[in-house]
Amino acid sequence: MKRIPALVAAPVALALFSLSACSGDSASDTDGPVELTFWHGYTEADGDVLEQIVDDFNAAHDGEITITTQVNPWDVIDDTFLPALSADNGPEIVAMPAERLPVYADRGAFVDLDDFYDADASTPDLNTGALDMVTVDGTRYGVPTGFVPLTMFYNKALFDAAGVEVPTTWDEWVTAAEALTVDQDGDGTPEQYGLALADHATVGNGVWPSLFYGNGGAVVEDGKAVIDSPENAETLEFWHDAITAGKISPTGVDGVSGDGLFSSGRVAMYIGGPWMASVSEENGVDYGIAPIPAGPQEQAASAIGVSMALTEQADQAQQEAAQEFFSYFLSQEQATTWALGSGWPPLRTDVAAADVAENPVVAALTEQAELGRPLLPGVVNSTDVLTAVDNLTQRAMAGEPVDALLAEAQTAIQSALDD
Amino acid sequence: MTTAHVDRPRKRAYRAPAPLGGRGGSGVQRTRSGGRRSRAALAFLAPALIVLAVFVVWPMVSALQMSFTDASGFGEAEWVGLDNYARIFTDPDIRDAVLNTVVYAVLFTPTAVVVALGLALLLTSDRLPFRGMFRTALFLPFIISLAVAALAWSYLIDPQVGLLHYWLRGIGIDLGNVLQDPTLAMPAVALVAVWKNFGFYMVIFMAGLQEIPGSLYEAAKMDGANAWTRFWRITLPMLSSTTAFVLIFATIAALQAFDQIYVMTGGGPYGNTQTVVMEIYESGFRKLDLGFASALSYVLLLATLVLSIVQFVFFGRREEES
Repeated sequence: MKRIPALVAAPVALALFSLSACSGDSASDTDGPVELTFWHGYTEADGDVLEQIVDDFNAAHDGEITITTQVNPWDVIDDTFLPALSADNGPEIVAMPAERLPVYADRGAFVDLDDFYDADASTPDLNTGALDMVTVDGTRYGVPTGFVPLTMFYNKALFDAAGVEVPTTWDEWVTAAEALTVDQDGDGTPEQYGLALADHATVGNGVWPSLFYGNGGAVVEDGKAVIDSPENAETLEFWHDAITAGKISPTGVDGVSGDGLFSSGRVAMYIGGPWMASVSEENGVDYGIAPIPAGPQEQAASAIGVSMALTEQADQAQQEAAQEFFSYFLSQEQATTWALGSGWPPLRTDVAAADVAENPVVAALTEQAELGRPLLPGVVNSTDVLTAVDNLTQRAMAGEPVDALLAEAQTAIQSALDD
Repeated sequence: MTTAHVDRPRKRAYRAPAPLGGRGGSGVQRTRSGGRRSRAALAFLAPALIVLAVFVVWPMVSALQMSFTDASGFGEAEWVGLDNYARIFTDPDIRDAVLNTVVYAVLFTPTAVVVALGLALLLTSDRLPFRGMFRTALFLPFIISLAVAALAWSYLIDPQVGLLHYWLRGIGIDLGNVLQDPTLAMPAVALVAVWKNFGFYMVIFMAGLQEIPGSLYEAAKMDGANAWTRFWRITLPMLSSTTAFVLIFATIAALQAFDQIYVMTGGGPYGNTQTVVMEIYESGFRKLDLGFASALSYVLLLATLVLSIVQFVFFGRREEES
């Protein structure tokens, strides 16, 4: 039968063609500019600002260094980075949420940047919390691109209607929330809540750590689990009682639905990330920004971080080129531009709120920047630690006895740290 | 029970469904035309076989190799022997995941099979009008992706905006936040899978039902059997091999539960819906512990295989008895 050879030959030829097309572009051209790929997840307007920074860098290093960016949502990057790197098809520079960095660093995906930090003149001026988030076992593996404390967004219209002042302490916070919770038809389910307190998968996993800090407690300290403490027990009981007594917040809320509740105007106060500013604007909510009210012991907030790192796929020339880019990115002018464009406070401590005054959200956040504490810096198995915290807070808010829950969480977190 | 030799027409209008063990004794005849035919068959099969070999067999073999290392996806992978497998049997999280998977299987498999059988019986009876439309409508959930179905369902049962809640509250039932309720979350995710899959099982049952000769029912009616007796003594035994097929498929699907759990509850609340495949995903892609994830995948494979063989043998024996 004469047709069979053709039927077999065609797919084989097609396969050979596509294979040869794939393998052609891995060699770096020693005569042309050093080429780098940069993966990041800044998909909104902040992405445009970052692209501009990269373009300006490429123009300043025309013919020597060219950086190409590839934009994907953060979780797509998390899913595809590993397989791409193992196929030598990954980026030389990658940005990711700060709590994902330690697990990749621990597995050897990143080049250590201690020499870069020791040599570069600007690095001593960086926010210390931000630096902690790129440090694993004393070695720095990345460069922060964003570090912002969680902050309280409040609905000005609802506050005016209820005649309530913006709270600054926990007691004021609960009182204000009670005044702002409205159940018009008396069916037991308020139409408007004073507060949306998420009890699991919170924004940046930081809402409950912020509350723990406020009462002098913490989750992990110096590599040890410290979640089982009388301060944390008090915190959990305080908030459980406040919510049960006053129905000031819907229950079972997570970060994503919390965002939606605030932007639809159904809650008056919400602890959220900087993106809530633009989300609120888009939804016509007249919002204000205030620091998270101070707890009995401290005023502190957990911070959300984003960092970029240099991958082990980069050869010597690419590593030097990448470090040039990092220096450029951290320079005073670019740090200010990036802060204004990303909506997050500047990473350099010598850029004050006044310098970023043209974006009032950024200015407000810059003033709060000192309150920000890094979340689980350097913890490799942050996945299991955060699951343990989520379980703890969810069950505590459901009314289970706090002492047993804290003991369980302590064991779970300590074994995750020992892993 | 023996097949009733009522009225055997000359032509073979009816053949009993092939017993599970296969018909023994009919070998392939090797003739010249047989040889050419099998070459042609091989050529037509080749593209699919190549795709299978490259995208299924090769990864399976690599995964087996990875399960004996501490692979993380890149860099050096060190041989750790049976450490990963040992960890599977000692880790309390895995034990919880196995229990959750068993609970899910117990919720999903009987429900899906019973619902499918019931609807198949309904749709093959002559008395139901618009059968064609019902058949299509009931099969439709099967063709959409489970993740999409899960998203739609999570909106339907959302306490704030869900339609289901609105209706139930109208008649006085308040379910609360189903997906965050430790007792209701697992039934909810099982229900979504039942809704999506029963159409497929229903169609298979309908095919099995249509193979049962009407003459058997007529004979039974003449002997005075009522509907329930007819179902229990004719329909069910004749459906043995079909039921076996559906049960095995449903069990395999239940043991692999992942899509809707990932979308709807993420393994929560408090890990109550964390199944084995969710653990594999988290170990492999969140904690970058690919060696452990591969080992867990193989243990799941072996468990599924054992369960399927048990069901196969059980139904094979029932078939012989009947």
